[in-house]
Amino acid sequence: MFYSDDKKQYSILNRRTFLLYLLKVSFFGIVGWRLYDIQIKNSQKYKTLSKNNQIDVEIIYPLRGKIYDANNNVLASNIKVFDVYIIPENTENINKSLNELNQIIKINFSDRRKIIELSTKVKKFEKIKVLENINWSQLEQIESNKLNIEGIFISQDYMRTYQFDDVVSHIIGYTNKPNREEVELPFIANMPNLEIGKDGIEKSFNPNLIGKSGQREIEVNSYGRVIREISRQDSKKGNDIQITIDLRIQKYALNLLKDHKAGSAVLMDINNGNVLCMASTPSYNPNKIIQKPNKEYWDSLLENELSPLTYRCIQGLYAPGSTFKMVVAIAGIVHGIIDTNTKHFCSGKISLGDRLYHCWKNNGHGLMNVSDAIKESCDVFFYEISKKIGIDKIARVAEDFGLGKIYDVPLPNQKKGIIPSRDWKKKKYDESWYPGETLISAIGQGFVLTNPLQLAVMTSIIASNGKYVKPNIIKQNNDIEFKKLEKYENAIKIIKSSMFKVVNESKGTAYNSRSTSAPFAGKTGTSQVRRITVAERESEDFRKKEVEWKKRDHALFVGYMPVENPRYAVSVVIEHGGSGASTAAPIAKEIFQFTKNLEI
Amino acid sequence: MLNKIRNLNYLLIFLVILISFIGAAGLYSAAGGSYNPWASRHLIRLVFFIFLAIILALINIKFIYQFAYIFFILSLLLLLSVELIGVFGKGATRWINVFGFSIQPSELIKISIILSLARFYHDLKFDEIKRIKNLFFPILILFLPFALVVIQPDLGTALSIAMLGIIILFASGIRIWKFMLGFFVLILSIPLSLNYLQPYQKDRIFSFLNPEADALGRGYQLIQSKIALGSGGLTGKGFLEGSQSYLQYLPEKQTDFIFTLIGEEFGFIGTMFIILLFLILISVCFYISIKSNHIFGRILSIGVGSNLFIYVIMNISMVSGLMPVVGIPLPLVSYGGSAMLAIIISLGLVLNAELNGNLKKLHNA
Repeated sequence: MFYSDDKKQYSILNRRTFLLYLLKVSFFGIVGWRLYDIQIKNSQKYKTLSKNNQIDVEIIYPLRGKIYDANNNVLASNIKVFDVYIIPENTENINKSLNELNQIIKINFSDRRKIIELSTKVKKFEKIKVLENINWSQLEQIESNKLNIEGIFISQDYMRTYQFDDVVSHIIGYTNKPNREEVELPFIANMPNLEIGKDGIEKSFNPNLIGKSGQREIEVNSYGRVIREISRQDSKKGNDIQITIDLRIQKYALNLLKDHKAGSAVLMDINNGNVLCMASTPSYNPNKIIQKPNKEYWDSLLENELSPLTYRCIQGLYAPGSTFKMVVAIAGIVHGIIDTNTKHFCSGKISLGDRLYHCWKNNGHGLMNVSDAIKESCDVFFYEISKKIGIDKIARVAEDFGLGKIYDVPLPNQKKGIIPSRDWKKKKYDESWYPGETLISAIGQGFVLTNPLQLAVMTSIIASNGKYVKPNIIKQNNDIEFKKLEKYENAIKIIKSSMFKVVNESKGTAYNSRSTSAPFAGKTGTSQVRRITVAERESEDFRKKEVEWKKRDHALFVGYMPVENPRYAVSVVIEHGGSGASTAAPIAKEIFQFTKNLEI
Repeated sequence: MLNKIRNLNYLLIFLVILISFIGAAGLYSAAGGSYNPWASRHLIRLVFFIFLAIILALINIKFIYQFAYIFFILSLLLLLSVELIGVFGKGATRWINVFGFSIQPSELIKISIILSLARFYHDLKFDEIKRIKNLFFPILILFLPFALVVIQPDLGTALSIAMLGIIILFASGIRIWKFMLGFFVLILSIPLSLNYLQPYQKDRIFSFLNPEADALGRGYQLIQSKIALGSGGLTGKGFLEGSQSYLQYLPEKQTDFIFTLIGEEFGFIGTMFIILLFLILISVCFYISIKSNHIFGRILSIGVGSNLFIYVIMNISMVSGLMPVVGIPLPLVSYGGSAMLAIIISLGLVLNAELNGNLKKLHNA
């Protein structure tokens, strides 16, 4: 009953409140004193520390993913390389060290002067690169002499390497330092010294191949010397990529092409659209681009008028010539303009308006049906039927067969080509279409332009009886089923039997290239690169004459193998190769025979 | 009603707004001179919470008095559910989603502890306080949330709950020896409760107790924090002139380490000014407590003022290296909704206590 009275309670509470308040004020005092200690008394010390102490983030670069061919051959990987550095503070006499090193590996005089000059400018503990990418025997010599050479230090790095030099260079591309715009790309993020893919698969798959950077937080003092590592997060290697190219076929085809100045060969698996070979000549060696200095090699590539950097399979645009006739014939059949009995007489030329349109055979082929017209590649027959079909219908069929399109394959800078139509000409030239242009287009000349991959796709669609085959260059595990263009099935059957005759019956334009070990069907094409004058045409032997290389016709061949249940489709284009029959068809034959022997 | 609005303690409201504005300036600087993402939200929250606090100040104190235990139970349930989410979900969490708002129940529990103890001692006759059995309830109210927070583990909050409890028990007039006994029981309960913890929970606690062992190096963080404060000197480097390169490496520059940023940019003058503002704010709470004619209002005001004090002292001690880094924000200055809500709401309760300071007996009135 002592504290029953409120007054007493309040006086106790007041006393305690006051005590608590004193306690709090004194705590504030302690904190205030502490801040005084840090901010006033020791401020100078912390100010110096703030200038000296810095944290640097060092990036750990990821290892780039490898690229494999269809049979797991490595096409692109990374090799360890060794660079030699010198650290000025570790040697009493930098000149002496360089002299000693020079006895093992020659360092040219101007480089040496640069190194010595640099050593006077940079901080004493900073490493200076002396030699790049030294070979094993040099490494061994330096390692064994290292104790004698002061300040020398060998560092390991990775360099991209391509195992097959120029064989797959166009598909794979190469890596190099990013340019100013590429530095902004999201996958480069914080890796300014990263080499990125500049062309081909290396470019398209940059985000996959690059991987993820790691980082190391290091504390450095005001001179930049590393004091300690604070944290470390390792980098993550990029993903590997497997492409559908079969190195054996690719090599074989490229060797065949190398007999000619420029050309390309594409081989596709019809069943899944896998591109097995996409060779283009002339080619380049990506290793020579990667190894610095590369200026000389780079300049030689740019100066070469055949432009080796151009990937002819997807960037070379050619008038398809007679290889386009299948499309025209199919358009004629599906639109009911011709059937197998429709015949036209070829006298070697027809006239339309005030112009003459010539067949390649001056004397004419005589009476032709569609089958003969394809087999013997009669131009007049196609002039006649194209008049009735009209350019727009031909264009629509051509597009159904994959021409005039850019495919969804990860190869940069595909060229679309041209499949002309009335609308197209109106848009492009603001001119109306002339009937004569239909005739020229019907034999794959004039405005019509295609690339070799498109021709291979066209041939695949024909060979598969109208399946909408899409090209594919990245190996996929799941089966692909293409939808079928039913409306063309009958027309395609007629055309396929004609294509068989082209190669396997006498008078067929490619009869000389027929194969007993790997029978195939196909179509030759010879596309003009200039206008033939009347005078030339009238001279009997103008085709046999040696003409300047640049003025010669392009030689083309498209085909499929085997004849029954075809599996492979090919397109061969030899620039200024003369004629499709003499130059392109034999190459196609060799590729087919080689592929068949592989028994994939 | 109008009379009540007129009689609100505008000094207290002004102090809250001023401190929050300093916080917004710091957040603006921490974002590299941008209202986004922190400063703008900080100010929006300020307006909203002040409004809420004034409403709270105007309602009848009897409601608050009656609501005290219910509020405690609700907060405890929230805290428990966070615990369960932590157990069944992945890893520890301190947050819970209530009606779309992410709330940290450990912030709310402190207010509910203050309210419950205030009600408990208000209901008790003064001579009953000395009875041993009347110690049981307050210790339970302190121990339950304390234990839950320890196993989160959130040692900073656990420590502040313990300190808050000790201060309120002391302020409520418990005899010194009993007070000391309770204090020891609390201390002893720590190692005892540790025995019941899972090994991974123990690891978490020890990693808090021994921050130097932390991989990223909290010790390192502390050095950077001291460098930032110290390099500010007397007058600081100037607004937005703080060398961000250090603060870049303070992972919580917008929350727990905001004081260092202010110290770097405004120097000793700036830090002293903030400390002075807090001291005035706490003094206002104590003044209201002394003025109050009922125990509920007294304990409430002392509790809220002490809670504020614990935040401020722990945060500043932490960033200036007087105690280990335990993750306590600086009230009204650090970015973070839950702590700001808890502080402003609790000050709203103090405003209420002042407006209703002359009630003799709550439960009879």
